[in-house]
Amino acid sequence: MSGTLSSLNTALSALRYNRVAMDVASHNIANVATEGYNRRRVDGESMGAPVVPARWSTYEGAGSGVRTSSIVRMNDALLDNRARTEHSSLSYLQLRATALARMESGVGEPGDSGVSAAMADFRSSWQDLANDPGGTAARGQVLARAESLAGALAAQAANVSAEMTTQRLTLQGSVAEVDTVATELAATNRAIATAALDGVDVSDLADTRDVLGLRLAELTGGVGLLQPDGTMTVSVAGVSLVSGSTAGTLRIATGVTASGGPDGSPVTFAIDHGATSTTLTADVRGEVGASADLLNTTLPAYAAGLGAVARDLADSVNAVHAAGYDLDGTTGTAFFSYDPADPAATLTVAVTARQVAASSLPGGVLDGSNADVIGTAGTPEGSYQRLVNGFGTEVASAQRLVRTQSLLTTQVDSAREQLSGVNLDEETVAMLTAQRAYEAAARVMSVMDSVLDTLINRTGIG
Amino acid sequence: MAMIRVTQNMVTNRSLTSLQAGLDRLAQTQEKLSTGKNLNRPSDSPTDATTSMKIRVQLAETQQHVRNAQNGLGWLDVTDTTLSGMADNLRRVSELALQGANASITGTSSEALATEVAQIREGLLAQANTTYLDRPIFGGVTAGSEAFDASGAYVGADAPVQRSVADGVKVRIDVSGTTVVGPNGANLFDDLTALENALRLGDKAGIQAGISAITDRQRAVSDAQAAVGASYNRVDAAERKGQDALVTLRSALSEVEDTDLPKAMVDLQMHEVAYQAALASTARVMQPSLVDLLR
Repeated sequence: MSGTLSSLNTALSALRYNRVAMDVASHNIANVATEGYNRRRVDGESMGAPVVPARWSTYEGAGSGVRTSSIVRMNDALLDNRARTEHSSLSYLQLRATALARMESGVGEPGDSGVSAAMADFRSSWQDLANDPGGTAARGQVLARAESLAGALAAQAANVSAEMTTQRLTLQGSVAEVDTVATELAATNRAIATAALDGVDVSDLADTRDVLGLRLAELTGGVGLLQPDGTMTVSVAGVSLVSGSTAGTLRIATGVTASGGPDGSPVTFAIDHGATSTTLTADVRGEVGASADLLNTTLPAYAAGLGAVARDLADSVNAVHAAGYDLDGTTGTAFFSYDPADPAATLTVAVTARQVAASSLPGGVLDGSNADVIGTAGTPEGSYQRLVNGFGTEVASAQRLVRTQSLLTTQVDSAREQLSGVNLDEETVAMLTAQRAYEAAARVMSVMDSVLDTLINRTGIG
Repeated sequence: MAMIRVTQNMVTNRSLTSLQAGLDRLAQTQEKLSTGKNLNRPSDSPTDATTSMKIRVQLAETQQHVRNAQNGLGWLDVTDTTLSGMADNLRRVSELALQGANASITGTSSEALATEVAQIREGLLAQANTTYLDRPIFGGVTAGSEAFDASGAYVGADAPVQRSVADGVKVRIDVSGTTVVGPNGANLFDDLTALENALRLGDKAGIQAGISAITDRQRAVSDAQAAVGASYNRVDAAERKGQDALVTLRSALSEVEDTDLPKAMVDLQMHEVAYQAALASTARVMQPSLVDLLR
């Protein structure tokens, strides 16, 4: 038989439990829009007979109320893992697509102001010269058009190198952010380990940990792994960056100087742990990886393609030009000069108006057949069209990939939200339930009070 | 996608995503309408962009060929007119020579014939030095200002002057001075000088020789005129063909590059309706919550 006052204790346990339920509901409502917040659920547990029966006594109670067994943080480690993978791919693709689109707007094709149009104008001016080989106006026009063609090529080369500069600065910024986030994650890991030992609720720290882990994945494609003690280790390209409460430093090993300039080598990374430094051999993903890929592959490839067009143009024009004779009957010299290291940016016209070799006959006669040959479109046009086509395809493909990846990421995020997101209706109902239960428990107390009042004050009194 | 649990955040995010998508589609259609171009950058359609660049190159080439042809037609026109003038003069010389060959004419009248022949020779020399855009039309590629010097000797540079009037098609637009007047030392001007002298002296045999020489020259001039006419026809046909090609190329370019206006308008309308629906539904979905209903 339980004690007389046990029902009061039962009611008290209900009051306490429902207070906790209301606290949890209000915490959930308060954090409805908090980034990375996972909703909490309070689990109650009825209190009754002990699990292991006593040997010499029997439990005779009818249940002795409720207690809070745990406050569960609603999340799924597998889904979180998946989200990190997808977010990493998305941020890689987004940065790439944005950079490519920015560069594409500088190409200016198809249109009246691009390299293609300048090349067509250049060819036309030679044909005009062929019609009037002695005319100073026609000769001046050839030089002017050649200069504007060189200018158009140089503008595109400058566009590419400006994008490379932007990417180097972006890369430095991202790497600095990686270090900050990694340090924060290590600190959070330490707090989680300590709090778990003290038996304190670590849900809020776990939220912070997951947000930081996601950000690291977005920046570097780092793989986060949850440890049994609740901490998260992160490794980038197979090398540990954060482990427990220690964080390494991601460093740009080669490719970018401290001031953001190029150092001539491809971009590589290393992770430093104190004095030990490990060079990353596998590909880094995320935003850092996107910048590195742009700097190592995509942008240099376009620059090289543009350089090949400029070299082809200069060499083919020079070859024909050298076979002709200028206005004074002298053999033609090189029409264009350029620096072989960077033809597109350094293409310059190397002759004066009188030295333009329009004639294929010696002796200073007014023949225009050499000019006519140069005025016919050749291989540079085709290779430039292929270059633009290839680049356009690359941009279009990057944008398509971004669309697909955003769909996938949205789906994973939505699956996480289904599990972890706060539903206000649900919380309102939970709150009302707790409120009513609280009221009922209070009622139990006043009933018990009146029962005891009857027993104490009225029993045996005549 | 089956939803087990829906939260307010999900609704908000999805509304924002679909509003963003709707606005993006609207902006894309609007760009097409405002620029009038379907192709605003290579990635809009890499294949079409290449086609468009190829057509633009062809367009520029064809335009240039038309310009070349028009330039050539000017040269040929002047040559034709000049050759006609020369033919007229040669006819007159021939008449004068025939008059001179007539036995009854003597003394002062044969002197007058000789003088007129001399004058016509000067006229023919001037005609043979006719220029087009500062270049002597019978001088070939000479850099000098005349094809024949004062003595009537050819001083031009005899090489063809050509115009590219179509892809790989070059047409010669000049006539060699020596073809028209004959080789140096035995050319038209030498013949005329000989005729003039024969007339003045009443040398019948000389006059007869002159007549036959002039007849040969007349034939050469008319041959040259025929050649010029043929060239003129070729260049003119090429020019017209070029103009036709320009029209075709422009319409092909427009086909590839330009916005299909009615389609774009319909698209705009549709996207606008979709966007408004998304806005309206967002406004309705975001409003209610159980909090409003429980008091």
